Amino acid sequence: MEIMSLVVTGLSIASILLLVALGLAIIYGVTGVINLAHGELVMIGAYCAWAMQSFFGLGLLASLPLIFLATALLGWIIDRVVIRHLYDRPLDTILATWGIGVMAQQAVRLLAGGELRYVEMPEAMNHPVSLLGVEIPIFRIFILGLAVALFAFTWYLIFRTTLGLKLRAITQSREIASCFGVNSNRIYGLTFAYGAGLAGLAGAVVSPLKSVAPEMGTTYVVDAFMVVVLGGVESLIGSVASAFIIGQSSSAVAFYANDTIAKALVLLFIVILIRFRPQGLFAAKVRS
Amino acid sequence: MRNRDLIQYLTYGGVCLIILLLPVFVQDAFLLNKSARYLVLGILAVSLSLSWGYTGILNLGQATAFGLGSYCMAMALKLRTIPIHTGAEGLPDFMVWNNVEKLPWFWEPFYSMPFAIVAGIAVPVLIAAGLGWFMFRGRVTGVYVAIITLAFLVVVNLLFIDQQRFTGGFNGITDLAQLDLLGFTFDAYGASSYYLIAICLTFCLFFALLVTKSKAGLILQAIRDHENRVRYFGYDVARYKIFAVSVSAAIAGVAGMLYTIVMEFASPTFMGVQLSLSVVIWCAVGGRQSLLGSMLGAILVAGMQGALSESETFLDTWTLVMGLVFVLVVLFLPKGLAGAAETLMGRLFRTSGHPSKTAATTQGEAPARPAASRPT
Repeated sequence: MEIMSLVVTGLSIASILLLVALGLAIIYGVTGVINLAHGELVMIGAYCAWAMQSFFGLGLLASLPLIFLATALLGWIIDRVVIRHLYDRPLDTILATWGIGVMAQQAVRLLAGGELRYVEMPEAMNHPVSLLGVEIPIFRIFILGLAVALFAFTWYLIFRTTLGLKLRAITQSREIASCFGVNSNRIYGLTFAYGAGLAGLAGAVVSPLKSVAPEMGTTYVVDAFMVVVLGGVESLIGSVASAFIIGQSSSAVAFYANDTIAKALVLLFIVILIRFRPQGLFAAKVRS
Repeated sequence: MRNRDLIQYLTYGGVCLIILLLPVFVQDAFLLNKSARYLVLGILAVSLSLSWGYTGILNLGQATAFGLGSYCMAMALKLRTIPIHTGAEGLPDFMVWNNVEKLPWFWEPFYSMPFAIVAGIAVPVLIAAGLGWFMFRGRVTGVYVAIITLAFLVVVNLLFIDQQRFTGGFNGITDLAQLDLLGFTFDAYGASSYYLIAICLTFCLFFALLVTKSKAGLILQAIRDHENRVRYFGYDVARYKIFAVSVSAAIAGVAGMLYTIVMEFASPTFMGVQLSLSVVIWCAVGGRQSLLGSMLGAILVAGMQGALSESETFLDTWTLVMGLVFVLVVLFLPKGLAGAAETLMGRLFRTSGHPSKTAATTQGEAPARPAASRPT
């Protein structure tokens, strides 16, 4: 029984991780930009959920599409104004996006105040149900479902649409894709917007589970990075697997030791992994 | 080139002289303490400039070395506090609160101040060299170095917070004695501490400058500009990189020790992600490919932050402005203020008929990083 509860906790952590990491994985995989502002986009998504609820009385579910659009637009603007100029300086994107993150954090603090905010869980989803013999709220299952659905949608987008084809072409070689008439600037902008939108969604759905604060993004960005690095940059399936592995191992180690040690051990494991398999655990062989 | 070196030495010496003379004009103890604090951060920036600006290793965990140095000094000073702050048998107070009965073995040697000072340099160097060996022997480069060093910093930070019994946890090590060395007492608010820090700063700055002027320093810069080409020449790139991070960690360790002296405590925030990324900002703003630029960048940014956050009106907007300035610097001044100054100097030289000088100034230009450095 105890093991089942660990597994379910792990699944819940993993689904949140996957939601946050999916946007990051796409941005990093396609454009090579290390987006340190990703956590802030998550945070902004959470604040949008809070604002929708307290100013317009919109429920969380109803506001999800709006939040996606709003954060996607923000991501597109960030890409057009700043990131676009840095595509051939990947290390500098770390610095620039971190600066953007700092600005976003402070802007939110000025607009919404520094105190913790709370978002209500949709009422219909507050009841516990039994999963694998463990009682958890329906909302957790909703998050799991949403993570899987968004993953499936992203997969479809990348592997079954023209946009995805262009995107994959750019990933392999930007120059040659451009020679064939692919507008890489536009695709980059769209990718960034889509990734940002996903981050916003992730922030919105986790907002009822945790308190919303301007600093909340920092922890997410680190975790999301670890998922992406562990899974392999260009492997979507890898992100799922690594979210699952990190989620389960955090929950297991946290059970036997404590949260801090769990986090430190997971990080150490990832450091060692990068050293020996920088392409990630599940990367397909790509000619480069 | 000789002439250019001389100008550089003179500029560096001039700035150090101004710093050393400051207490003559500033008597206010509080202000002196604050200036000393910014100088320490300047030393930290010099250390990052050496590894990031000169070798191209973006070490996002520079605060690891800084924090370790700081804790080494704090441990030694904690053991010298008057008994009122410590438990029975000179046990530090936080250990008493955490039911530690005997001084842990690794605290014992810190009764000796020389040991603590050596440890404050040696521990960061060993850890940096170990991590460097681990990374560079496996030819980890670019973004992955940044991720590994950052992750490692977080691990060390978490461990220090978690091991409350030995490190004081969140609170760090507080209530420290004043440093007593060679007959001097270094009061954090006195001129003595300021001089100590200013002298250490001068020493570190010139030490780093000499390293960059040495043959090894030239190879480090060559590695930054084109790593593989250096490897084809037969140089052991990994060894040089390990050397760079070790020297950098030594300087950061010194800065950490000084920071404890001037702040009168050690805290996990000294090895926090926030500080570590701030160092990167300072170097970027000041100009990472110039030791002096990085140092002045740190003093300028940290000083402005200190001054503006004291006034009510700027308290909130400061961070916003800082973020904006940083993004603008990354976008438009990839070589920072020092780079801008150098370009300006180059223009002046050209008008007075020294075309060779401008050629010399452009040699360190940031190379257009090849798209291949992307992990594909």
